[in-house]
Amino acid sequence: MNPESSLRGPSAGAGAGDTSSAVNPPDSVRYAFINEAIARSTGRPGALLGILEAVQERNPRKYLCADELSYIAAKTNIPLSQIFSVVTFYALFNLEPQGDHTICICRGTACHTRGSRTLLESVRLELGLEETPGQAGADKLTLTTADGRFTIRTVACFGQCALAPVVELDHRILGHMNERALAREVEGLEQERHE
Amino acid sequence: MPQKKISIRIDGVLVATLEGTTILEAARDAGRRVPSLCHMDGLKDVGACRLCIVALPNGRLVPACTTPVQEGLAVITNSPEIAAYRRMIVELLLVERNHVCSVCVSNGHCELQSLASSLGVNSVRFRYHYPILPLDLSQERFVLDHNRCILCSRCIRVCAEVEGAHVWDMMGRGIHSRVIGELDKPWGEAASCTNCGKCVQACPTGAMAEKGWAVEEMVKRTAQVAGAAFRKGVSL
Amino acid sequence: MSRIEDIGIFNAMREAGLAKVLPAMPRIAVGMGTCGRGNGAEGVYQALAHAIDRDGLDIQLAAVGCFGACSEEPLVNVWLPGQPMVILRRVQASDVERILTDLSRGRITPDLAWCKIEEWDHITAHLRYGVGFPELPLWSELPFFSGQKKIVLRNCGLIAPDDIDEYIAVGGYQALYKVLIDSKPESVIEQIKASKLRGRGGAGYATGIKWEFLAKAKDDRKYIICNADEGDPGAYMNRNEIESDPHGLLEGMIIGGYVTGASQGIVYVRHEYPLAVHKLTRALEQAREYGILGANILGRPFHFDIDMVEGAGAFVCGEETALIASLEGFSGRPRPRPPYPAQKGLAGKPTNINNVETWYNIAPIVLKGPAWFTEIGSTKSAGTKVFSLVGKVQNTGLVEMPLGTPLTKFVYDIGGGAAQGRTVKAVQTGGPSGGCIPHEMFDTPVDYETLGQLGSIMGSGGMVVMDEDNCMVDIARYFIEFTHSESCGKCVPCRVGLDQALEILNGFTKGTGTVAQLTLLNELGRMIRDTSLCGLGQTAPNPVLTTMRHFRHEFDDHIIARRCRAGVCHSLALSPCENSCPLHMNIPRFLDLLKEGRVDDAFEAVFLDNPLPASTGRVCQHPCDDRCRRQTVDAPVNMREVHRFIADAVLLTDRFEPLAARIAARKKAPTGKSVAVVGAGPTGLTAAFYLALLGHEVTVFENKAEAGGMLRYAIPEYRLPKRVLAQEVELIRRLGVKFQFGAGVGSAVTLNELDEGFDAVFLAIGTWKESWVYLPGTELKGVLPALPFLESVATGTNPALGRRMTVIGGGNAAVDSARTAVRMGMEATIVYRRERKDMPAIKEEVDAAEQEGVKFLFLAAPHRIVGDARGNVKALEIAKTRLGQYDASGRRKPVVTAEIVRLDCDAVVLAVGETVDLDFARASGLTLHEAGTFVVDRFTMETSRPNFFAGGDAISGASNVSNAMGFGKKAARKIDERLMGVKRFAGISGGFEYSMEPPETTSTSPRHRSAELTSAVRVKGEDEVMVGLTEADAADEACRCLRCDIRG
Repeated sequence: MNPESSLRGPSAGAGAGDTSSAVNPPDSVRYAFINEAIARSTGRPGALLGILEAVQERNPRKYLCADELSYIAAKTNIPLSQIFSVVTFYALFNLEPQGDHTICICRGTACHTRGSRTLLESVRLELGLEETPGQAGADKLTLTTADGRFTIRTVACFGQCALAPVVELDHRILGHMNERALAREVEGLEQERHE
Repeated sequence: MPQKKISIRIDGVLVATLEGTTILEAARDAGRRVPSLCHMDGLKDVGACRLCIVALPNGRLVPACTTPVQEGLAVITNSPEIAAYRRMIVELLLVERNHVCSVCVSNGHCELQSLASSLGVNSVRFRYHYPILPLDLSQERFVLDHNRCILCSRCIRVCAEVEGAHVWDMMGRGIHSRVIGELDKPWGEAASCTNCGKCVQACPTGAMAEKGWAVEEMVKRTAQVAGAAFRKGVSL
Repeated sequence: MSRIEDIGIFNAMREAGLAKVLPAMPRIAVGMGTCGRGNGAEGVYQALAHAIDRDGLDIQLAAVGCFGACSEEPLVNVWLPGQPMVILRRVQASDVERILTDLSRGRITPDLAWCKIEEWDHITAHLRYGVGFPELPLWSELPFFSGQKKIVLRNCGLIAPDDIDEYIAVGGYQALYKVLIDSKPESVIEQIKASKLRGRGGAGYATGIKWEFLAKAKDDRKYIICNADEGDPGAYMNRNEIESDPHGLLEGMIIGGYVTGASQGIVYVRHEYPLAVHKLTRALEQAREYGILGANILGRPFHFDIDMVEGAGAFVCGEETALIASLEGFSGRPRPRPPYPAQKGLAGKPTNINNVETWYNIAPIVLKGPAWFTEIGSTKSAGTKVFSLVGKVQNTGLVEMPLGTPLTKFVYDIGGGAAQGRTVKAVQTGGPSGGCIPHEMFDTPVDYETLGQLGSIMGSGGMVVMDEDNCMVDIARYFIEFTHSESCGKCVPCRVGLDQALEILNGFTKGTGTVAQLTLLNELGRMIRDTSLCGLGQTAPNPVLTTMRHFRHEFDDHIIARRCRAGVCHSLALSPCENSCPLHMNIPRFLDLLKEGRVDDAFEAVFLDNPLPASTGRVCQHPCDDRCRRQTVDAPVNMREVHRFIADAVLLTDRFEPLAARIAARKKAPTGKSVAVVGAGPTGLTAAFYLALLGHEVTVFENKAEAGGMLRYAIPEYRLPKRVLAQEVELIRRLGVKFQFGAGVGSAVTLNELDEGFDAVFLAIGTWKESWVYLPGTELKGVLPALPFLESVATGTNPALGRRMTVIGGGNAAVDSARTAVRMGMEATIVYRRERKDMPAIKEEVDAAEQEGVKFLFLAAPHRIVGDARGNVKALEIAKTRLGQYDASGRRKPVVTAEIVRLDCDAVVLAVGETVDLDFARASGLTLHEAGTFVVDRFTMETSRPNFFAGGDAISGASNVSNAMGFGKKAARKIDERLMGVKRFAGISGGFEYSMEPPETTSTSPRHRSAELTSAVRVKGEDEVMVGLTEADAADEACRCLRCDIRG
């Protein structure tokens, strides 16, 4: 991975998506929030995870910027490399800005046996996203459209197996999905934009 | 605290050793050859390469490097099954990245290469993975070539445990794991690096090397670094 | 609310809580677990809240967790004081007004009511709701709940998880109180040990022993951890437990903390479970408020607190050393053991980790004692386990069963078996660490030891049911893909080994695998299992090793025949319809040719794929319908009737001659080889056609007078007119196939003669021997098997059988017999021992029979046939049956009852199946199966005798026309390969240019169907019932195809 592309600072912007309301607050505000998050969890088990989760959640584009990671490292005395190891290990953390809408497709067993792979393929084609060679067939997948509108992700399992196949659209769980119904949902979001 | 003397059986031979030593140390002290790649004297063992597996009497395989000896322990350090597994592990390492010995600075002085030859691995049954990996030449004195890396983490550990710099760590997971410096910065830009070169000497292959050497010329001073690590461990 | 400092306050709180759970007014509780919400429970709750508020109703509204019946969500509990609590199912917001109106009249909305609960054993308390509503079944009487024993799920779906008072009301925190008052930690550990409780996370280590380790460890700080990082795809019980009853978890952990001397507890929960995180956060706050967490718990000198940590999405963190690393701020890479966490765990301190469900068992064991617990479950595995039963069963959800319950109980009794028309093939237990258990082993008791012996594990309790539409190679590949992407990458076997295993399995699913790779995969799997660092790697090969052991034939199909029967592996099929077709017809091709108006080309393409297209276009079981992707839009494309239209458009018109010439012109140059085909049924005709097309001299030997086999002699004229079949046979004859009729092999010609006279012999003798049921009265006049009956009608010798006919059986032959009898002016009744949905006959045919006045008697088995003084049939006595246990076909076995019913009739037709003519088969000297069918190599179709091949019903047992033809086609290919030494088959049906562009639009029309004669007209004669599609309809039907064969 090229560090320049994977870690854009706030000034570098979050791509085309930044034209929307999703603008990152200034550094002072962000760093004050990080200080709070660190203060809340210092000395408690799972502190680093908690800090990173809070910082990412607060970011309007739901990702971690390089300067934030450096700031956390300096404040917590955790080596930079260890922080980078952690944020690249867990599926939750993003180093890239996420789209306005997130379509998360469950790849759990029950969903797989009920055709979630076809769903993933169809929505990928619909949004015109190329399968990146490194991610061919991989479970952990995150793709964002060039216009920053949509991010497709997969999740190991939502624990919603009785509703299989399950898709989460902007934190809304949709059960018993099929290609057509999913396409309609995505079209609905596309139309919102034009209205 | 003085360590208790105990006796164990290695390949049927009764051996005296100290409580708290690992099977690997005891076996090597007793002159048995137990292969390993991720173990380095003076560093904490992680049990990553799994080449040092030995068999307990019930047939269970355990890594010799992280299993402490106990009074009455009996282990077998080699068997047809163990040998086959070890060969397969080396095969897997050889197909994982781009190990082209003929153009490698460590050719002839590489732990992976010599292990492959001593275990009799002369062909692989798996498909080569041929990943596209970067070569980091940004550091003034050293090179990092991910194509030769076997992810043994000796560089990471020597830097964190002995030098105390913690420049290196492992990013990603599974087959996409890779050694990174700081926030995946080019080595030359890593401010925490002290330029000590211990990682280079600890590296078992040609993944980390000094600049300026041609093919076959890089000879690692691993024992020297291990000695320093050991002294640090004693002084702590 | 104040802190609980003494028993007086505690008891007062309990009373206050009971007034919420059993209030003096009606209570409505909506199931608001994630499953319920996913099905619209929030809307229901809001509608209820709105209406209650609007009308000022005296109704208590509560939001509870999930009762476990996920397929019936949203569930709503309705309780009127003094009455049983009633569970309503599939409630929608629009039902709310009805429910409230009914409730105001003291009634329960009947169409929503599912079951009632009169009293409930919370284990820690016993609640009586009331008695009444005799028309409603008790919850425990429903199949889904039968045999369930709710210990872990004791409170789920019944109390509000947000309200600690309700938890205390049903006996919550009593066990904690008892433990603190008794202040004998060692005796609690002894109790847990005596209870034989084993870790519910999968490995099954004895909980009491683990606790003892921690209790004995000396340190100033010790930790206990709840592992709620439930990452097994297919398992979600922990989510539901925490969402529905968070205090149950806390109570177990606080007790554990007290008896092991730990001062800090941690719940490590997945961030993918936001609702569980929310409920737990709230429960922690309440517990602190009540003095149940923190300093001086319940007024006793014990300090303990619990932190919650959200995992960040890594399956491997379910492994305890990885979980600890994760808590310490590192990537979740497992560490070698020893040292074990009990010695050196979190931050180097002694630590104990248990799964969510283990903690839920603590309070009940403390209160009820170990003896109560060991009585539940099996000897070695005490207690219950919650399973998530999902996949291809009708009832899905969470079920808590005593350990040792056989799998068949889960799949059939609770799950209700597969969906209509499908068969369950396997159950996957234990997620990516577990294995697939085949149908033949469903008697297996589900406990730690037995599953281990089968190469699977209990795991966290995921149970994913697979049916015939699931490809086991794909399932193995799926799990390796999963563990591959979740492998932490630390140790070589798991990191690189799984990558290579995935590479090999990907090859299998793409048709590029080799047999050598299968061996290598097995060796690799064993190496990964035996040498990996942690549990993830050590168990990751289980799904592959078990599927290779139990479903080896599917691997062979993929590697040797390059076929995926389930149609899952896309690379091995042209399209789902093609894959499901026994003849592997290129269906999208003929649809497109017709769409382009090229009927002649379409016919040529169809005929080259299927030399009896008009016949199969009428009588095929059309498996393609089930696979067609158009059904996700509306209904499948009517492929069968389109190819019938194409076939009729040529065979029954003046296009016949030119097209026959075109096909004959495709015949390859003579090879000089000769082949004998024995039997002129669909199998033999198909093989003869292709062999002739390939340039061989083909002679068909048939002991009857005409070609067609069952098509000619068993299928009635009204379904398949003889002139249609005759045209098809004529076209095959034009290719130079010679027929010798009346030439029974074994009598007129011997096998040795065939061996000498031909280069290869293909036996397609079919199944012409009637199975016979032995019951009193079969010797009477008027009793006859279906085949001779249908044959006599087909050859024009209508037998006189009286006025009323009873047909025994449920297959196509039974339906054909009954419908034929109706056309002979008789009344016909079909007697079948199972239910209508179990009938093997084509559904449309059963419906048509009913329209024509055929009567049906289900759940009825023949008992005896009664005759009159002259030896004629007078009546059939039948025994009523009821449905019992499930059999190997996944259908419930009919069990005969004592109830006998008499059915007056003049004739009885036995249509109970056909078998191979055993006399001939035995005399042939070829190796046979027990059932009398020929043993052949399933890839080469060779019999035990050199140069002798066999196919069709003679190797499979009685099947259907298309399957039989599929064998004929495959045999022709294999015989040609053997005779010529090269593969020539693939090219013979090619050479058509047609559009391979995805259609811009498809027809929006619903499925077109053929017109039918009215039943009044059709019973008067033998005219064909199905008229066939019109030209316009056929063309439009072709435009409905979505063209899945085009991939981009």
